[in-house]
Amino acid sequence: MKIKYVVRSILFVTGLMISLSLASWVVFPKNNSVEFGMSDVNANGILGEDDDTIDVLVLGDSLSYSSISPMMMWKEEGFTAYVCGTSAQQLYESMNFLKQAFVNQKPKIVILETNAIYRSFSPIKTIENSFHRLFPVFQYHDRWKSILPVDFGGSVEYTWRDDLKGFKYSNKIDGINAQDYMRKSDQAAEIPELNRQYVKDMAKLCEENDAQMILISTPSSVNWNYKRHNGIRLLAEEYGLNYYDLNLLSEDISIDWSRDTRDKGDHLNYFGARKVSAYLGRFLKNEYALPDHRQDKNYQSWNEAYIRYQQITEQS
Amino acid sequence: MSSYFSIEYLALFLPAVLILYNLMPQRYRWLLLLFASYLFFWLISGVLILYLLTATLTTYIIALHIGRLQQQRNMLLQQVDRPERKAIRISYQKKQQKFITAGVLILLGMLIVLKYSGFIGINIQSLLNVLHLPLTLQIPSFVLPIGISFYTLQALSYLFDVYREKIQAEWNLGRLALYLAFFLTIIEGPICRYSDLSFQLYEGKKISWNQFLFGMQRIVYGLMKKIVIADRLNLFIKTIFHDYNSYDGGMIALGALLYTCQLYMEFSGTMDVIIGSGEMFALKIEENFRQPFFSKTISEFWQRWHISLGLWFKDYIFYPLSMSKPLKKLTAWARKKVGNHYGPLASGAIALFCVWLANGFWHGSGWNYIFFGLYHFTLILGGSLIEPVTSRIVSFLRINKESAPYQFFQIIRTSVFVVIGELFFRAKGLKAGIHMFITICTNFSWTSLSNSIFSIGMDRQDFIVVIIGILIVFMISVVKERGLSFRALISGQPVMLRWSLYYMFILFIVIFGAYGVGYIPVDPIYANF
Repeated sequence: MKIKYVVRSILFVTGLMISLSLASWVVFPKNNSVEFGMSDVNANGILGEDDDTIDVLVLGDSLSYSSISPMMMWKEEGFTAYVCGTSAQQLYESMNFLKQAFVNQKPKIVILETNAIYRSFSPIKTIENSFHRLFPVFQYHDRWKSILPVDFGGSVEYTWRDDLKGFKYSNKIDGINAQDYMRKSDQAAEIPELNRQYVKDMAKLCEENDAQMILISTPSSVNWNYKRHNGIRLLAEEYGLNYYDLNLLSEDISIDWSRDTRDKGDHLNYFGARKVSAYLGRFLKNEYALPDHRQDKNYQSWNEAYIRYQQITEQS
Repeated sequence: MSSYFSIEYLALFLPAVLILYNLMPQRYRWLLLLFASYLFFWLISGVLILYLLTATLTTYIIALHIGRLQQQRNMLLQQVDRPERKAIRISYQKKQQKFITAGVLILLGMLIVLKYSGFIGINIQSLLNVLHLPLTLQIPSFVLPIGISFYTLQALSYLFDVYREKIQAEWNLGRLALYLAFFLTIIEGPICRYSDLSFQLYEGKKISWNQFLFGMQRIVYGLMKKIVIADRLNLFIKTIFHDYNSYDGGMIALGALLYTCQLYMEFSGTMDVIIGSGEMFALKIEENFRQPFFSKTISEFWQRWHISLGLWFKDYIFYPLSMSKPLKKLTAWARKKVGNHYGPLASGAIALFCVWLANGFWHGSGWNYIFFGLYHFTLILGGSLIEPVTSRIVSFLRINKESAPYQFFQIIRTSVFVVIGELFFRAKGLKAGIHMFITICTNFSWTSLSNSIFSIGMDRQDFIVVIIGILIVFMISVVKERGLSFRALISGQPVMLRWSLYYMFILFIVIFGAYGVGYIPVDPIYANF
């Protein structure tokens, strides 16, 4: 009698999983553009890039896409970078983007913007995330409103590219007086255990894919302080990762908090991002011997994208 | 863990407790339920568990004292002659009354201090201001432990039942603690009686496969009501009730109608999850809803909506008051004066007034809740008062009361009254409720309804999904109203058809549920009461 119930249960669950898979297949975006219902389109613009063309992958929350402009680094140094940063990104989401990037790309450097490391989340979120990855219908279910004929028969083909390569352009100025936000401290801000584990797992995944993961704190007078710096420094030492805190480089990156921020020191604006990207590009090129593709004909799309990027940023 | 619809509850807590429950020897299962209940409470309210412990210990000690007095009295009664018995009864009755009064004061006192002190303080301050008295009160504010309104009523019902000798006082503290803290009933009820629930909880009955499946089905049904209907309606309702000044009567009336629908779907959906979870543990938790929107009168509505609360008020407020000596005297006097119909209504009205005042207060510390209670009191009493007149009109017009059109008219009329009541219930205070009601009466327009309906959080497709969801609930309600079990009907079908229906229903929830980015699920509405 009991075996009968077990067999029935297995059959029912199998049927349910097949149904969920079929539904997932239908609602999953068939292209990586807004029109096809893709979420986080700018970050997912990497899916439209040619295989094995990205040298540097950037992960993190809004600080990553506000501070780092890949196009600026392309223009100045000639290597390719892509920011897969999303608003309030949690580390399990960073891990998703990392895994997704490794499918078609072989970045040499993976930058994790450290503010995400302090974003705590419930272990339940990781269960939800696994469900979303296993059955995308849970993430994309709302696409029923805009379902297209191609969703029922077409194959997945990513063709959309972001000219800003994940960077968010903003020329808004809303300054603040933030001279001493990096006052020295001996204390270290605590990092949640689950987050530490995720950093460790991401570093391991990078190693397995011949990439080097580095930790970078981009300037933010609201989000960053010396206690957090100490916390990340200790974490980096523990896991053998390189850590660079750009908040401490006021001489090399002279952020003017009265005009380089769009929201009173929370995020940098285009002017601040330009300073950070100029320094970071130079530093990465020298420190990690990144290639220069500017004359490579396989990378001409980047030169074309730069012209469009210039048109967007010229208004500043 | 935020609600019975959270992943924490459905995917972790419930399965874990179920598995452990099955692995436990039958005699220890109640201990697991007790541990799980306290863990559940702790996860939601943390250190506020101390209030629950205080209420439990108070109830336990007072009930034991009352029980002990009853035993002493019974022993004495056996030893003495008939003439002395009355004196002994009266003497022990008085002693018991002291204990029950202390119990009621402590339990209600905790509830009033925690839940109503802010409301009382604000109103006293307003009164002082009106009287131009230069006094400023420090108005306290407390964080409420989850389910305080529910476990307090359960504790009181237990004390009253012991006092009335319907049940014996429980000597096993753990058993009483489990009854008061049981994780399935503590957040939103139903308000169960000790005699109905405690034995089942203690028994630790073996779970049957069919009950387990029925329980799962009931949970999925509840999920549909909550995620597909109530949460999707939230997009529209929160805008209307928040910015009510920006909308005309048509939109506000629609908002009130949809809120009534949302409240029913959210609350009855939660009950489905609770009763379904109970079935998985082989527990029979009493129904709290019985197709309320098929009611023909407001009285009937309250016998079908939040049944356990209505029964509590009936048993512990209405009947004791109606049977009290002063009201009995009043009834006798009134019968002579105004006849057999209106005579009992006088004392009934007093008892009814107390019930509905308590009902309003129980729902929340706001004038709109008190108005909500008194509104229903007026409707019920008014219905009784004009009943002879309406009967005469109906017979004069030769209307068959049993005819479908007349019954349909009664159902619609009752629903309209209910929707008006819920408008005040949901409004941001009594003033807002009155303003919204006046707007409906004075500035109603069909045009704005047709022009703006799809521009306030819900588009045409959202409405279609909600309507489909409501039709499913309606269809199942019709089957239940006819005394049939929808689940039994389905389980009698061939396996292919049955499973296909299950898959379709689950996919309907997964695809059309209002969850994820862009949606804010409605909070458990009754958990705040």
